[in-house]
Amino acid sequence: MGYLFDPDNWEWLITGNNARFILEGFVVNLQLALIAMVFALAVGLALALARISRSPALRFAAGTWIDVWRNLPLIFIILYLALALPESWRDAYEDNAPELLPDVLQTGRVFAALLALVLYNSAVLAEIMRAGIQSLDRGQGEAAAALGLSYRQRMRHVILPQGLRRMVPATVSQLITLNKDTTLVSIIAIQEVMRHGRIVTGFNFFGGVQAPVLQVFIFIGLLFVATNLALSRLSRRLEIRERERSGTTVEPISGLEDQVVTVEAR
Amino acid sequence: MGALFEVLTDNFDELASGLWVTLRLVGASFAIALVVGTLVAALRIAPSKWLQRLGGVYVETFRNVPLLVLLFISFAGLRRAGVPITNWTAGIASLGLYTAAYVAEVLRSGVFAVSKGQIEAALSLGFSYPATLRRIVLPQAFRTVIAPLASITIAMIKNSAIVGVSLLALPDLLKEARIVQSRTFETDEAFFWAAVGYLLITASATLAFRLLERRFAIRR
Repeated sequence: MGYLFDPDNWEWLITGNNARFILEGFVVNLQLALIAMVFALAVGLALALARISRSPALRFAAGTWIDVWRNLPLIFIILYLALALPESWRDAYEDNAPELLPDVLQTGRVFAALLALVLYNSAVLAEIMRAGIQSLDRGQGEAAAALGLSYRQRMRHVILPQGLRRMVPATVSQLITLNKDTTLVSIIAIQEVMRHGRIVTGFNFFGGVQAPVLQVFIFIGLLFVATNLALSRLSRRLEIRERERSGTTVEPISGLEDQVVTVEAR
Repeated sequence: MGALFEVLTDNFDELASGLWVTLRLVGASFAIALVVGTLVAALRIAPSKWLQRLGGVYVETFRNVPLLVLLFISFAGLRRAGVPITNWTAGIASLGLYTAAYVAEVLRSGVFAVSKGQIEAALSLGFSYPATLRRIVLPQAFRTVIAPLASITIAMIKNSAIVGVSLLALPDLLKEARIVQSRTFETDEAFFWAAVGYLLITASATLAFRLLERRFAIRR
């Protein structure tokens, strides 16, 4: 304990550019999480719709696709894509990456990382969305059909708005997981917060003070705790507002990124 | 197709030992996760505000920190601080304590799923608080937590892959596949067999939990 709180061991935080350097790395993680989440949500919705479509072949194909990516370790997918993606794809990404991205995110390796994050998370999100949609009372779809709405109209105006609203808590919890998972891309040498942490602890980088590993990574851990707590606070507030509005409750069992449990209000 | 099986037979010892390391890692971490998770869940439902808060801090901390950060803290961090921790201890402790937070949350919500009337009835029949928990609440809660525990276990098995390729360098399945890949350059084949290994473990875990669920189901 003495070692942990010894002011000498925290001196690195106010020396040179250490703190700033770590925060810059953390911003890369947040950007990765944001980009991956946007794509994963879009792809996930498409997969979920395919998974419950009326064509058995499409259902089967989407189901298999989802199960494969969902059941592999994310780090496995990241590592595999980093090794196996053709050089030309990475070059294409480097040539076409939007200018507004920071330089770190314009390197070819980032394409493998983003692709892995999207493949894995879209599969997980597709299952969450499917569960949300299928938890709806059957009568909703049947009533809409009886009113003469086509499949497309039923989905767009009746089923999706209700079903997707139910998956908000589970989605936020997956977003938190995604945010944590962005640290895994350090394994394929993308310069984000873990790499920056190692640089700071590695040698006299800034200001001549060698930062102790324990304190640096506790600091990095706290950055994640703060961000993720803020996220879950926000989602809880949304959930309460939603519950007051609709009179139903959605209770995700905590820790279950890939499963939604819905409880109907009496 | 020939190359696929050749990679397996040529490197069978390495891949099999990797699978065995992953199994031991997962088994030990699961035990820690269950024990610590139960203790933390007990804190969270304890009849004291302070104990509840303590349990809450544990859950919020370990659930919101990336596992990779925990591995850095427990291995490199403690070693630099002079604690001679081995990569096995650090790996098992990190994965176990990380998963324990999720286990605690599931156990807690399982306890809350038991209706209040059950507890009030037990207390009014003269059961003490611990006896009510042990004899009335936990047996019923156990049934509802099997399915979510299965999901957590699957997630833990997948998370175990992080330990090997991180700085801990435990020779687990993914790490061994990586070694085979870097020696033979048969990327697709090496990773294919690692994937088969992980899917085998997760499928067996799913099956085990399904049997457990059937064993404890209420027969009507």
